[in-house]
Amino acid sequence: MMTTPQYDAIFQQVVVLLQEYAPQPVPVHEETELIDDLGFDSLRVMELLHEVEDVFDITYPLNALSDLRTVKDFVLQIQHIVENR
Amino acid sequence: MMGLLDKLHSVADTRKALLPPGIDPFNVVIDEIYTSTEASLGGRRVLLAGTNNYLGLTFDQQCIDAAREAILREGTGTTGSRMANGTYAGHRDLEQELAHFYGCSSAIVFSTGFVTNLGIISTLAGPGDVIVLDADSHASIYDACKMSGAEMIRFRHNNLGDLEKKLQRLGERSAKTLIIVEGIYSMLGDCAPLAEIAALKKKYGAWLLVDEAHSMGVLGDRGRGMAEAAGVEQDVDFIVGTFSKSLGAIGGFCVSNHPELDLVRYVCRSYVFTASPSPATIASVREALRVIEANPQLRTKLWANATQLYQGLKQLGFELGPDLSPIVAIRMPTRGKTLLAWKALFDRGIYVNLVFPPAAPAGMSLLRCSVSAAHSSEQINTILRAFAAIQPHLNPSESGVSAPSETAKSGLPREMRS
Repeated sequence: MMTTPQYDAIFQQVVVLLQEYAPQPVPVHEETELIDDLGFDSLRVMELLHEVEDVFDITYPLNALSDLRTVKDFVLQIQHIVENR
Repeated sequence: MMGLLDKLHSVADTRKALLPPGIDPFNVVIDEIYTSTEASLGGRRVLLAGTNNYLGLTFDQQCIDAAREAILREGTGTTGSRMANGTYAGHRDLEQELAHFYGCSSAIVFSTGFVTNLGIISTLAGPGDVIVLDADSHASIYDACKMSGAEMIRFRHNNLGDLEKKLQRLGERSAKTLIIVEGIYSMLGDCAPLAEIAALKKKYGAWLLVDEAHSMGVLGDRGRGMAEAAGVEQDVDFIVGTFSKSLGAIGGFCVSNHPELDLVRYVCRSYVFTASPSPATIASVREALRVIEANPQLRTKLWANATQLYQGLKQLGFELGPDLSPIVAIRMPTRGKTLLAWKALFDRGIYVNLVFPPAAPAGMSLLRCSVSAAHSSEQINTILRAFAAIQPHLNPSESGVSAPSETAKSGLPREMRS
């Protein structure tokens, strides 16, 4: 799938945030999984979400967490919220 | 492939890693309870400093007598829901008395505090609505929000700027938004800035629900909680609370001036499909309400005890929650030290709550005390002496052992002593 410039920009910012917040320092790719690969637990995810909300000036509804597995999912969710705010 | 029960095996692994054999602070058995502040645990007589029994009413003679008479008159249980088996006169009377206590038009009673939140929140909010909740909200509030199907938005704990930002972004949807906060937060004992939250609620045209579980009987001139203390009762749409803390029994309630509250009982699943509170529970709660109204000095004593413990621990140098309240939480540096301290206190005859994340906010480990009006000043001093005795062993900057001697014998893994 072709990515858009906005997707790429969000992806770059998300990678920086994930590297800062991830309990396990592993390389971050689109298919990297937040829990299984990066070791996020529920508390760490919440800290990450607060930061994401500040950086992108958005509100991230907790309901979206149930559809969140990979970094790509996360970036697409953020993009969707940014475009619809 | 993962089996059904494999997820529980990881719980066992976590428990094994956290808790050495022979110590399980999360599964303490009370062999005998003597008073609202003393019991026998594991063959040891201990001073209870973690019970949420804020007014000490579990052993109030009037409440006991009322419960006893109700059992003799109406039996031990209702054996079903009020929808199916009928409402006992006591259920109806308690709802009227609660409404009167709060100066509200309606009240509804539930079988526990947890199912009160599940039922009320998941009935008030639904798909298409929005819930904006404080990040440190109780698990029952999170579960209720999830059950509701509403959009769930979390704001940083007690952070008015973050709350306003989130309400602002909702625009017109704020009219279908329920803000949920607690009067006193259960783990750190800190208070919601409710006057400011109520002002934001009005500014954005949202709705406000306050959980007074830990503030009913504790705050306000009449003991109605944080909304009363902050002078914003008229701006709070729904107050929920529990019977299991200041009222010394079990159950929960919601009060409101919105007449629609009475309709909740027809559609609220945790009301419709749960056995109603037992006659003894209802009778003792009704009596406890009368005791609270007639004895404001209980709150005076509670706050004197809270002040004595909070200031005493502060003087000892412990890092505490931000606000003085009957919940006194001691922030600990590591899980291992929290466990060691809990065991050392227990060995000195003091029972407090051990709290690990995620039950404690922001990844903290806590020793959580809650004081009661039933504690004597001397009992509070006994608690302080025990904390003073264990303190040197918890400070890594001091030489010597990293745990009290009797605790070191318990065989804690090395990683828990760091």
